[in-house]
Amino acid sequence: MSTVTFTLNGQSVTVPEGWTIWEAAQGRGLTIPHLCHKPAPGYRPDGNCRACMVEVEGERTLVASCIRPVAAGMVVTTDSARAESARRMVIELLAADQPEIPHDTGSPFAEMARATGVESSRFPAKDPETIPLLDASHVAMRVNLESCIHCNLCVRACREVQVNDVIGMADRGHKARVVFDQGDPVGDSSCVACGECVQACPTGALMPASVLDDAQAGNSADFDEEVGSVCPYCGVGCQLSFKVKDGRINYVDGMNGPANEGRLCVKGRFGFDYVNHSQRLTTPLIRREGAPKGLNVDPANPLTHFREATWEEALDAAAGGLARLRDESGTTVAGFGSAKCSNEEAYLFQKLIRQGFGHNNVDHCTRLCHASSVAALLENVGSGAVTATFNQIENADVAIVIGANPVENHPVAATYFKQFAKRGGKLIVMDPRGVGLRRHASHMLQFKAGADVAMLNAIMHVIVEEDLCDRQYIEGFTENFAQMKAHLADFPPEKMAALCGIDAETLREVARTFAGARAGMIFWGMGVSQHVHGTDNSRCLISLALMCGHVGRPGTGLHPLRGQNNVQGASDAGLIPMFLPDYQSVTDDGVRSAFTEIWGSEDFSAETGLTVVEIMDAIHAGSIKGMYILGENPAMSDPDVDHARAALARLEHLVVQDIFLTETASYADVILPASAWAEKSGTVTNTNRQVQMGRPAIRPPGDAREDWWITVELARRLGLDWSYRHPREVFAEMARSMRSLDNITWERLEAEGAVTYPSHSLDDPGQAVVFGEGFPRAGGRARFTPASVVPPDEVPDADYPFVLITGRQLEHWHTGSMTRRATVLDAVEPEANCSLHPRTLRRLGVDPGGLVRLTTRRGSVTLMARADRAVAEDNVFMPFAFVEAAANILTNPALDPYGKIPEFKYSAVRVEKVETVAAE
Amino acid sequence: MIESIEGKRGIPRHRPPFVAQVGLFGRPTLVHNVETLYWVARICREGPEVLCAIEKNGRKGLRSFSVSGRVSKPGVFLLPAGSTIRDVIEAAGGMKEGHVFKAYQPGGPSSGLLPASLEHVPLDFDMLQPHGSFIGSAAVVVLSDRDSAREAALNMLRFFEDESCGQCTPCRAGCEKAVKLMQAETWDAPLLEDLCQVMADASICGLGQAAPNPIRLVMRHFPEEVGATDGPHDPGSYGTRQALEGDWE
Repeated sequence: MSTVTFTLNGQSVTVPEGWTIWEAAQGRGLTIPHLCHKPAPGYRPDGNCRACMVEVEGERTLVASCIRPVAAGMVVTTDSARAESARRMVIELLAADQPEIPHDTGSPFAEMARATGVESSRFPAKDPETIPLLDASHVAMRVNLESCIHCNLCVRACREVQVNDVIGMADRGHKARVVFDQGDPVGDSSCVACGECVQACPTGALMPASVLDDAQAGNSADFDEEVGSVCPYCGVGCQLSFKVKDGRINYVDGMNGPANEGRLCVKGRFGFDYVNHSQRLTTPLIRREGAPKGLNVDPANPLTHFREATWEEALDAAAGGLARLRDESGTTVAGFGSAKCSNEEAYLFQKLIRQGFGHNNVDHCTRLCHASSVAALLENVGSGAVTATFNQIENADVAIVIGANPVENHPVAATYFKQFAKRGGKLIVMDPRGVGLRRHASHMLQFKAGADVAMLNAIMHVIVEEDLCDRQYIEGFTENFAQMKAHLADFPPEKMAALCGIDAETLREVARTFAGARAGMIFWGMGVSQHVHGTDNSRCLISLALMCGHVGRPGTGLHPLRGQNNVQGASDAGLIPMFLPDYQSVTDDGVRSAFTEIWGSEDFSAETGLTVVEIMDAIHAGSIKGMYILGENPAMSDPDVDHARAALARLEHLVVQDIFLTETASYADVILPASAWAEKSGTVTNTNRQVQMGRPAIRPPGDAREDWWITVELARRLGLDWSYRHPREVFAEMARSMRSLDNITWERLEAEGAVTYPSHSLDDPGQAVVFGEGFPRAGGRARFTPASVVPPDEVPDADYPFVLITGRQLEHWHTGSMTRRATVLDAVEPEANCSLHPRTLRRLGVDPGGLVRLTTRRGSVTLMARADRAVAEDNVFMPFAFVEAAANILTNPALDPYGKIPEFKYSAVRVEKVETVAAE
Repeated sequence: MIESIEGKRGIPRHRPPFVAQVGLFGRPTLVHNVETLYWVARICREGPEVLCAIEKNGRKGLRSFSVSGRVSKPGVFLLPAGSTIRDVIEAAGGMKEGHVFKAYQPGGPSSGLLPASLEHVPLDFDMLQPHGSFIGSAAVVVLSDRDSAREAALNMLRFFEDESCGQCTPCRAGCEKAVKLMQAETWDAPLLEDLCQVMADASICGLGQAAPNPIRLVMRHFPEEVGATDGPHDPGSYGTRQALEGDWE
């Protein structure tokens, strides 16, 4: 690294080349006042506020230290009268226009004013008629531009960091002002409420609404403690800081975690108050004698069907029922653990089923999201996790995003994709919907739903035909290419164009772009995985990357964007019916004996257990009679959910452990009140393989307990000799059987917040890119597995002419149990909805916002229809978070044969207009 | 201008790097005004003498002066670069009937206001700097005994308040506050001087850096008009050289 030596306040200082004067001074413990400069990742210095002026010998004017790189021999004085006076004057000028009662008494501006000794201003204030008024049009944020100092941080936050391009500056001079879109109120603008601007604003002009009182006064520094943890929503794994006051979360800021670098989305930042919702379960509940099982319990008033119980009684009842079934026959109990809980809780859950019941009937929602991706990755790459972090896109020059809508479902990962495109990276977006990322795409391939294999094989056909392969890579690191090549011969783009709806020339161009890149990445979501051919889809993506040599180097890799905050960790921890922790097969006697040795228990079944959908079928068949469900909501999330609900109603004994009385809990015999993520200790593993530490910020309400504690208590009552007193003991036990946790200790995670696995030493923050030197398969080679075109299980016909695609929306998480109880999120997106192309709506005679009835062979729901040009004309898109019109009443439970994942992304559906009768 | 060509908001860039190093779309860029290009063409066609053969008051060359104010014939006049304000007024037909020369703006509002007593200074590069001014755009405004220097300065600051792009605090807030302070019957000289200093020292571009010139020059040369009692104002221990002409984009 080259360095530069210069003189700072008379002392010779050497710093890395490229550092600014401000950075050099800060490095020596000297904080130069700064307002428009935010020393945080992603924020370039802008040099506009002029609060950081210093004197540089030989220069006519003072110099903004935040933006001026140090030059060799430069003589800098920060403490001259001239420099100090200029800095003070700048603050005094700005102070003149600050409101009498500050919106944020704890703002950086207030802090800087104190630091420079500015208590008041000698300057006259602005003309009152030029002072902007309150904009309270958004439920999450308050805009009080009278405090605005034009520092531009919100503009950079919105345009450069999050790349949402909503905020800009309008007008000029002292009349310049921050505007949303075309000067719209923020609530009417295209703002997605990521709140990056709120976190960046140094004055209180932009504030979380939760911090301000009715007079718009607040103090962002008024909290009892800051607790660093991880976001409880998606698999991106943003680190965040809970600001806790009087035992409640006041607001949330992003922290500089490896995945998010301070960024958050609307859910992570504003979606935290579900923890205080009045419907939180606070005491154990036992079903009343004779209360009928069904989706018939009001979560606000469970006492119609349940009675309150002590923990002793409830745990005895819960464990007793399960033990009774265990003692009757071998495998009549099954368990669904949760990808929302910690690694330790996932580990304990699978251990409870395996050790306590002697079999492998344990699964979780990974079955519904990326099971097929994992199956394909394990088969062909030898590892189910991503080969590179999504942040590696920084080093890529082309990236494919297929079957994913990261702008809504992985919003913070999407910010990196958008930045990549802004820097000139070629972003190839493939999806049956024209998803939000389309705006940033160099190529948008809006292909026919379900035609993934046809399209991807055609692209690979071109790469082979035009000899664009990385032959050296194929020879050095792969196997079965000859067969792949032969297979691809049948898929010329000219032949596939009609099948996939993308013209041959575009397919060829995309093939050339991806194969010709120096470094390319592939990201995919559930649009790829949730098909009966989901495993085949993933196989194609793996083959595509392999034949181009786009694995194992910086800026290359395969990255299935994981859904739940801990779906990676829960899968790693063995919460799946075929694998013990670290994907070690349950059918392997050596593997089982290694675990039973650690567990000090007898052998358990060598047969793989049943998966999520298979368990529901087994209940109907009478072979599963009891279940322990922790934090999962199959009564909403399973395909053909009426069938799943009927199954839950049939169970002889159902124990549900959750924070709310979910749809699933309404079928329970015993309900155990658990803790929310912000209330517990534990580690989670994100989509990037980053193991991160979650810390409790608040106490669980009432008598609710941490999930691991409840599982341990049940285990004891099932006769297991468990004595864990803290998650760290569980983590230590996990590390004994999981090579992936080598060099990762609880203490390290507490100190560092995050470690990526694999980590090669105690100092290694972990490997962002893996498999540069071969794959964890026999011979160290990855495999090409050819995939043939398999049609969706249920294709449209005259009765059901549309294709139904289910998914998520930015504001709602999964089945909505948390987000629909988060004030901001439910206010922004309050109503069950589906989206159709405006032309389709017109044809059906439905006005945007009108009601439609969607009917499939499984059932029917009525809900509001939106006009959305992103949706193809013969498609319907529908989020599954709304119980009042549950998408999964409609979905097809047909499974992918390898991953056992249902085809959530393709059902034949009928759409009918519903005549609305005006209420009298 | 470069920002605008690139499709961005029209705000000045930070220097360094200078546009000759990193300019339009990141490329080294030469920026010239029309007058320069006009002379380049003529020099190429007619030879260097067309400019340098002309000498006055020890200064070489020609300059187009745009003259307005209390003169008989306002207009644009091509005069030797070494001309003084007297020469310029003469070229413009002398003072208007009934007006006595009092003060002048030598080159745009950034150059501030000089008193008639400085009538002997050649209006050329580097000649006005010792007087806290510069030739700038050579847009000359002539004021007479019927004009108020204070009102002229206020007008100039209103111009800057309007022209300021708003990017940096000293210029954006400074011009706005200056306009308010300059409307007081008696100027708060110490506060205005503090303000002038931060504007000159800390503004990003020449517009903000030069905007205090009218304030300072009025306080120095016309103290009686702004209610100052302590005579000509001391510009401070560290005299600030004024911005180079053409320094704001």
